[in-house]
Order: sequence, then structure tokens, then C-alpha cells
Amino acid sequence: MKLITAILKPFKLDEVKNALQAHGVTGMTVSEASGFGRQGGHTEVYRGAEYTVDLIPKVRLEVLVDDAEAESVIGVIIKAASTGSIGDGKVWSTPVDQVVRVRTGERGPDAI
Amino acid sequence: MGTRERRVRSNESDRELSQLFSAAHEKLSGVVNRGMVGVALAAVGGFGRGELTPGSDLDILILHTDQYSENELLAFVNALLYPIWDGTTSNASVPRTVDHAVRTPTQTRDVAKSDLKVAMGLLDIRFICGDSDLVSKVGENALHTWRKESGNRLAELRKMLAERHERAGELAYLLEPDLKEARGGLRDITALRAIARSGAIEIPLERISNAESSLSNIREALHIQSGRSRDRLLFQEQDKVASALGYKDADELMGVVAQSAREIDYLMQSTWHRLDHRSSKGKDVWLWRKAKSLIVGRGIGVANQELVIDPDAIRRDDPVLGLRAAAKAAQLGIHLSMESCVQLAEGLREGIGAMPDPWPREAREDLVSLIGAGSTMIHVWEALDQEGIISSWLPEWSAVRSLPQRNFLHRHTVDRHMVETAVHAASLARNVHRPDLLLVAALFHDIGKGEREDHSHRGARLIEPLARRIGFSEPDVATLKILVEQHLLLAATATRRDLNDPATITSVLAHIPDLQTLELLHTLSIADGEATGSAAWSNWKATLVADLVARTRAAMTGTTVAPQPELTHEQRAFAEVASLRVEVVVRDNEYALEVISPDRPGLLSIVAGVLNLARLDVKSARTKSHGPSAVMTWIVSLDPNAPIPTAEKIHGDIQAALAGHGDLAKRIQERVRAYSQLPSIPVPPPVVQVVRGASSECTVIEVRSHDQPGLLFRIGDAVTRCRVDIRSAIVTTLGAEAIDTLYITEISAGPLSEIRAQEVVERLKGALL
Repeated sequence: MKLITAILKPFKLDEVKNALQAHGVTGMTVSEASGFGRQGGHTEVYRGAEYTVDLIPKVRLEVLVDDAEAESVIGVIIKAASTGSIGDGKVWSTPVDQVVRVRTGERGPDAI
Repeated sequence: MGTRERRVRSNESDRELSQLFSAAHEKLSGVVNRGMVGVALAAVGGFGRGELTPGSDLDILILHTDQYSENELLAFVNALLYPIWDGTTSNASVPRTVDHAVRTPTQTRDVAKSDLKVAMGLLDIRFICGDSDLVSKVGENALHTWRKESGNRLAELRKMLAERHERAGELAYLLEPDLKEARGGLRDITALRAIARSGAIEIPLERISNAESSLSNIREALHIQSGRSRDRLLFQEQDKVASALGYKDADELMGVVAQSAREIDYLMQSTWHRLDHRSSKGKDVWLWRKAKSLIVGRGIGVANQELVIDPDAIRRDDPVLGLRAAAKAAQLGIHLSMESCVQLAEGLREGIGAMPDPWPREAREDLVSLIGAGSTMIHVWEALDQEGIISSWLPEWSAVRSLPQRNFLHRHTVDRHMVETAVHAASLARNVHRPDLLLVAALFHDIGKGEREDHSHRGARLIEPLARRIGFSEPDVATLKILVEQHLLLAATATRRDLNDPATITSVLAHIPDLQTLELLHTLSIADGEATGSAAWSNWKATLVADLVARTRAAMTGTTVAPQPELTHEQRAFAEVASLRVEVVVRDNEYALEVISPDRPGLLSIVAGVLNLARLDVKSARTKSHGPSAVMTWIVSLDPNAPIPTAEKIHGDIQAALAGHGDLAKRIQERVRAYSQLPSIPVPPPVVQVVRGASSECTVIEVRSHDQPGLLFRIGDAVTRCRVDIRSAIVTTLGAEAIDTLYITEISAGPLSEIRAQEVVERLKGALL
């Protein structure tokens, strides 16, 4: 099993969510996140005074999938999240040892 | 379900317990034949009041006079209680859970002394069977001690309530509230009854009898539907309870819960307030007699830390009286007397003091002052709302009153959420140039809720006639309509649209006509988000919205700075003559003053000081230098008990002040000191800033501050001390907020250097603190 984590532009969330649901993904966790990558924050001018926005608001999306599904899910996220411009985000996957559904006690891929 | 059923259940329990008591007593008398003397069974707490729900405990007290041995007593109590615990009683509706105590009268007294709950439970003691004298003596003693020690016991009770409220939250606003423990819940009614029985204060408990029976019925239905004794009204039970009680749906049920809780909590808060500030008498006429020594407005005064309205003034059919009192109470941070609210409401019901359409200007300003006071306005608003006065002034309010919002984002009912948004908006008032529009939009932004239609669209339709009736001008009505209709626009766009895409900014610009509206909408979004709670608003969202606003602002042209006033031909002609002229025109409750005077440094503060000493409150002012003179137009209102201003008097006063007679600064200081005796509320700090690029000839400085006595005098004086010249000034008071725009030049003409401008800003900040 894999945990796929994606950092996205906030406005892309709905699109990615819909694409994942269409792909058959039934559950996901979404949280508000802030950070910067290569774009390194940006500078704003407000009432004549410059200030630097260090951390840019992003959305963090997490999906648990079976190993066989991982590549295609990553593909779906990338396709839906891409605008082609800087700051589109990142997607990565991490191996997961065990998953347990709290209500039923099911384990492994059955719990996804 | 209802009081009758709960009483029947209680009576049946009485019967059952009496039978068990007799049977147990027979065994006891078999050992020692002493008749029914010296032992008794009594109900305490809720059972004592004869109110039993299926999930209630049987709160009983077994009283004895210590004439039985420990073993005898043990056998007796076991014989009495085991059949209940075992469920072998003949009546199935008798509760199985028993909360019992076995005590002598002395033990009872000692335990009550150290345990407040026991002391309160004993106030409701009721004889069931056995030695009735024993029970009545314990009851009399409990009440006597409660009254004698009411000072300490009520303080203890207050602390206990505060802790419980902290733990259980507010019944009116929780999604899954505890009907008994939460603030405004059934335990608070028991507490109110206990306070009333202490004799410390009279409490109009009849005001909450409907609330009590509603909450008791809901609790009973909850116990029956859930089959448990839990008092927490969980989401999953709400539909079932609503249908069992014949409510349309769970929304209606939760609306009744909220409304009942608010009535109970309001009575509780007013009770503590009256206890804190009670006088030896306390009737309204007497209160007004006391309040007359501290008059703070026409027909209103302060007594016992409450704002009191002259009962005669209420009969005089003054439609602004109620709002004037409410605004003053909120701005002073004190309560509005419950008696005064009741009298106002009675007057309104008889058609006295009804608000005309459109509202007078004073009423609109008082409304803005009221909602701009921050958190202190919540209690005042609640008091007016409890008496139905808000609905009389603003009939649209009735539809959202205690309207629940059953989703995880919201903490409050619709009406309370709007009040909370106004409180947050008040703390952000310095962010905008029109705090009045911000506050009114905050108070009504969700007014369209409660129907299937999109609440923003419906709200926009409702706010239009409402704002017109309140007396706003057509352009302001249009702005308010945009604010209500688009109050979700910025947050929704910032989180769901690509801010780098020019089409996103274009779509926002299509709804927002100018910088002022953008500034208002941005601040409204923040206030709305903060009031909703952390689930709806975070730094994350705030950053996105600020980014969108910055990008939109960059795409806009125009300015938010008030332009310099234009002079009429006649004003210009007289200004060239360079002599002092004063004219006074009466307009409703206000006076329009035109002062044309030879110009000189400090003129603005001198005239402002003269008006202040004449007890005239400046509502707005426009001044402009022309040739050797300054032309000033002032709109002022009269302080209570101040003499009516005449042109001759003001002319004489200004002439004397210009000639340096009478120490203006000292006299104003004395007046300000007199005001500072009154209570005050915390307000956001003043904002003083240079607006760059607003004028090529002058430096423009904006001052945004809470209005206060002598404000303009201090501003003018601070500027004069910097040895600069005020070419024009535009002064506006919106409710309790003052916004002043100063066009300043060096005495020798020309705008100020960056350093000089900063010097003026610092001097102004210092003067306003």
C-alpha cells in the first residue's frame, strides 16, 4: 500500500477531487498547508510598502491506495492539478506498512 | 409528554415509595415498636419539585432521629431500596436509579453547609411519608440558613455556575447541547429559583415559565426516544425528538432550544447584574430619580451601573429614545435596565415611540454607535431582543431570530452570528473609510437565511428597503446591497480560483465598483470569517483573501480620500472681505453652523474648542481656506440641558477666543475630565496616516479614531503645534467613529517633506492617546 501526498494550489482542489472520484478513489484527507518551493515566496506592494509573503497557501491532499493503483492515481492528480506555471505543487508516495479500519478492524487493502 | 405526565410519574413514584416505606417500616417496628415517629422519607431536587422524566434519578433523603441502631437502619434502607434496584416494583414507570442519603437533621445541616448542591436540593424538599414534622423542620431550617447566609452562598453558586458553563458551553449555540448542564439550561432555572428563595432580590421567574416547560418537554422526549437518561441532545436524536413533540423539523426544535436558553440566560445575567448593583429599593421610578443626577442624553441617565430611561420620556412618543439609550449603554459598556426595556416594549405595543419610515438621522447614527461598540453591545442587543424591541424596529430580524445553523462551520444561530460579526467588524472599523456601512452590512449580511433560496441573493433583496428605511442615501443603499450580496465573493474566489489568471480579477471587478467597496468587502469577509469560527477562517484563508484583494486593488483606479470641499460664490465673496461671520440654521435636532473667519494658525482648534464648550457635539465639518479667510460649515447636535446656540453667542465666543480671552485648552481639559468619570469601553487604537499621491499641493493626512469629547480641538491643536497650515479639513462622525481628512501645507505653502509629514503624524498620534 502507498500513501500519496499532494501539495496543490488551493483553487485546483475541486478539480483534483472530482478527477480522483471519477477514477474510483473513495476517500481522501485534505488540509490547509503553507510553504514554498522553488518559487520561494513572493513580494507584494501594499499601500506603498513592500512586504514579503514567505509562505504561500497550499492544499495538502492525502490518499491511501493499493500498490497497483499508485502510479495511475499520481497520474490523475498531476493531470488535474497542472496549470503549467510555477507553484503547481508536488506529489509523492510513501510505502505504508499497515492500515486498519477503526470501525470494523479490517486490515490491509480491505481497509482502504 | 408534559408537566402533567412528569407529575403523574412523580406521584406514582411517591405511591410506590410509600408502600415500600411502610413495608420496610413494619419490619423495623417488628424489632422496636415505635410507630411512624422519628423516621421519614422526603424527595429533594427535581423529584422534590414533583418533576420526573423517565431518565431522572429518584433523589431521596431518609431522615431519622438517631433512635435506631446502625443495623436496624441498614435493614430498613435495604428493604426500602432493593426492590427499586432489582426492578421488582409494581409500577414500571418508577425510575430504577436512586440517589439517596440517610441522615439525621443535624447531619443534614452540616452536609448542606459544606456542599452547595445539597443545600440547594433541600430548598425543594417534599414530604413523601413517615414523620412529617421531621421533614418540615429540616425544610424550614434549610431555607432559614440559605437566607441567612445568602451573601456567601450566592457567591459560591455564581462560581459553580461559571465553572459549569465553561465546561458545558452555551445551550443556545451548541450543535449537540446538554439541556441540563449548559449555560441557559435547566440547572440554571434551579439556580434562579434558589437565588429567588434567598430573598436577596425579586426575580420575575414567570418570564421563563414557557422556556422551562419547553426544555423540560424536550428533555423528557429525549429520554423516551433514546431510552437513556442522557441529557445531551445529540445530532442523531434531534429529528426523533422533533417529531415526537410535533415540531416541523429538527431546525424548529433547535430554534426553540436556542430561544428558551437565551431567555433563561438573559434573566440569569440580569439577576447577577442587579445583585451586584442592587439598591435598597430598586423600583424604576426610584431608579430614574437616582439616574437624574447623571444624565447622559435626552431622557436617559445612569443609576446602579445601568442605563435607565425616564419613564415620562417613554410616554412622550420619542422614536429615537430607545436607540439613544441602547447606543449610550453600549458605548459606556453598561447594561440597559431591564425595567426600562419592559417599559419601552409596553410603549411600542401601545403604538408609542414607533419608528417612522425613514428613520430620523439621529436614529441611524445611534444604531451605528450601538453596533460599533464591540462586545459590550451584545448584552444590550439581547435585552432589546428579549423584549421584542429589535423586531419592532427591524421586522426583518424576526425571521432569523434564534434560527439554528446545523452545520459544523457555525458556532451560533443566524441572529447571534450577525451580532458577533458586527462585534468583530467594530474592532476592524479603522480599516475602512465608512465604518457605518461596514457595521450595518455586518449586522445584516445573513439576513436572507432561513429559506431555500441563496441567502446572499435574498439578503440583497431584503437589505435594499431596510437600508432605505434606516435612512441611508441611495449610493449607500447600493453599496450595502453589494456588500450583502457579495459577502462570500472574496473568500470563495480566493480559495477556488486561480489568482494568477487575469480572468479571476476581472470577475471580481465586475462586482466591486470602487476601492471603497473593496475595502469594505475585504473587512466584512474577515469579520464574518472570524465570527464564524476557526473551521471557517484561518491565517491560510486570510492570506489567500488578502492576496486577491491586493491584486484587485492594483487593477483599480481612483482613491478613497475625501476631496477638498467646494465653496459657493457667496462664500468666496465674503471670504475675501476677511471679517468674522457666523450663521446658525436649525435642522431637526441638529444645527448647521457657517463660520467665515480671517484665517490664522490654530483657527480650526479654536472654533472646535468654542463649540465644545458650548456643549455642541460636532457631527461633521468642512473647512477650506480661501484668500485671507477660512470658510467652515459645521453640523452639530446639542448636549442634553445645553442652551440653544445663537449666531450672536457663537460669534462672541469665537471673537473672545481669537483675542486670547479665557484659557480654552484648560476649560476643555476640565470638560474632558468630567466625561472621563463615566465608564468607558475598550476601542481599537487610532489610525493616523499620510495618504501618498492624493494631492499635488498639499500633504493629506487621515485620522481615524473613536469619537471622544474635544477630539477635533486636540487634532487641530496638535497640527498647529507643528507650525503647519490646514488648508482644508473634512470631518465626519459615523456613529461613534470619527474620520478626519486634513489637507496640510507648510505655512509658506507647498506640501510637507516626508520627515515633516511624519512629525505631524507622530504629534497627532501622541495627542489622541
